Amino acid sequence: MNDEIIIPGAAFEEKFSEADGFRIRYMEAGFGPVILSIHGANGLRLSRIHDMLAKSHRVIVMEIPGFGSSEENTGAKDMKDLAHSILSFIETLDVETLNLIGMSFGGKLALVCAILRPEIVGSITLIAPAAIRPERDPKEIPNHAERAAAMFAHPEKQPPTNQLSAGTIAKQEDLVGRTIGPGRDEVFEAELAKLHVPVLALFGTEDILIPPEIGKYYREILPNCSLMMVYDAAHAIDADRPEAVTELIRDFVARRGDFIVREVDGTILP
Amino acid sequence: MKISLFCNCRYMGPTSGSSWPVPADDFSTELAQESYEITLNHAEIADQLGWNWVSVAEHHYAPFSISPNPMVMAAAFSQRVKTAKIALMGPDIPILNPIRVAEEFAMLDTLTGGRIVAGLMRGTPNEYVTYNVNPNESRDRFEEGLKLIKMAWTEKQPFGWQGRYFQFRTISIWPRPVQGPHPPLFMSGSSMESGKFAANNKVGVGFAVTTLEAASKAAGYYREEAVKSGWKPTKDNVIYRMPFYVADSDDQAVEDLRAAGAEKFKGIGILNPDMMRVLRQTKYFSDNENRNREAQTAASELQDRIKLGQLLIGSPDTIIKQIEKIRDDLGPGILDLTNAGEMGDKTIKPRIKDW
Repeated sequence: MNDEIIIPGAAFEEKFSEADGFRIRYMEAGFGPVILSIHGANGLRLSRIHDMLAKSHRVIVMEIPGFGSSEENTGAKDMKDLAHSILSFIETLDVETLNLIGMSFGGKLALVCAILRPEIVGSITLIAPAAIRPERDPKEIPNHAERAAAMFAHPEKQPPTNQLSAGTIAKQEDLVGRTIGPGRDEVFEAELAKLHVPVLALFGTEDILIPPEIGKYYREILPNCSLMMVYDAAHAIDADRPEAVTELIRDFVARRGDFIVREVDGTILP
Repeated sequence: MKISLFCNCRYMGPTSGSSWPVPADDFSTELAQESYEITLNHAEIADQLGWNWVSVAEHHYAPFSISPNPMVMAAAFSQRVKTAKIALMGPDIPILNPIRVAEEFAMLDTLTGGRIVAGLMRGTPNEYVTYNVNPNESRDRFEEGLKLIKMAWTEKQPFGWQGRYFQFRTISIWPRPVQGPHPPLFMSGSSMESGKFAANNKVGVGFAVTTLEAASKAAGYYREEAVKSGWKPTKDNVIYRMPFYVADSDDQAVEDLRAAGAEKFKGIGILNPDMMRVLRQTKYFSDNENRNREAQTAASELQDRIKLGQLLIGSPDTIIKQIEKIRDDLGPGILDLTNAGEMGDKTIKPRIKDW
């Protein structure tokens, strides 16, 4: 096994698009069916899954307005406001349908986008989604530093991350806190129960932020959900097990729920 | 302290094989049937005499145990053993399908009304040759398999598993285990890696083919690591397995064992030294101490093995003293005793009764 740490994103090009009154930054690589990746509460993070998926798909990794070096997003009051910005951004891509990847906070956003525009979403892959969260005392809700510390089961295998400035962290934390909504939300969950877009929900067996026990709720609520446990992965499942996650996404994007039937040839020697 | 009868399921006929795997040219179907019947009788008698557990293990390709699938043996026990718990010390997780293991355990737990103890083992090193699995993968396959089995028992919504060694797109086992959240789990605790993993995952530990001193040291490490993980094991989290034999006097016990050929016991290391030479170079073994353990224990003289706490033999008074030492040094909740010398039905029945 190659233990060399690979810096992801070499093939990606930085681009900007005007949408919903924002100048939205995004990274793009590859050709083929479109995959749009929506990041988590700590901001845009290119991952090796993006590199690998870009060999067979047009992969777009967008930055949610208000994150990173973008201007503070004071207008968004809830997830639907952020989803409207994302849907406006999608309109600039000139595609009829696309597949969404939503990581953590971005997982909830992907679901809200699909609730608002189900006809344009072919599939959703949720990576440790934060749409349903464990009941916690408000004091125990992890902050940016605590989340960063709990991201990886194998931090030793990760490339160095760009440290955000205190101002950027404060701006992002304010936006997330303002928009994410409660851990359990009856109205939102009633909308999820009517969402027929195929969903693949991935949970890391070592994730302490969104523990794998949460997975059952997605399976119970969503009418078309495949639940998948990714072994030996913490919150950043894609970074801990990039090959494992890529294989799942590729198969799910191509075959949706049919992916439960194995197609890979099992012959050892002809 | 609970007492368990480990049923080795020995084939009771003569064999010409002196290596591993053992050729089957002398195999007798009649003797194999008789051997199973003897094993089932032992388990039944132990149950009737009030022993707390009966146990079985997984071994392949040799007459010293004809229990290649302990689940099948335990299923047979379930029809005869009415009160005792039935402990499986094996299945050998790295060479098996963990979902099949979870399902079979759940079946057994249902058949016995919740009397199954789930010992998940890595197996002896030769078993990697049995099912053509790379022994370097042993520990990683074991750890992943154990976590998958636990999840298969406890997760009620269908889920998939994207592992390193195991991959399933949807899992939802029926039946479910009777015991909640799942049957009690044990694994070998002999190495530091195993002890730490067991402690971190709240799994009990068992010690076999070792010495009392080594087991006590390993158990101490396991207990320390458990406290670091936020829990305190009880004595029921520790099993010690050893051969036993009771006679009227100490001298008689030793004489009986010698007459039965117990001193000639040969481990896999001695049976197939060429294969073991290759296996000892793999990552199956975590350290030199464990690498040489089997050879050391198999080569020792009978009296030395008694002193090392590897054999429980003698008169009833001597046996009690030996057990007291095991209690004081190691503190196991369960003594898993196997019939030393494998002298068969006629010899062991009255001995168990007298014990």
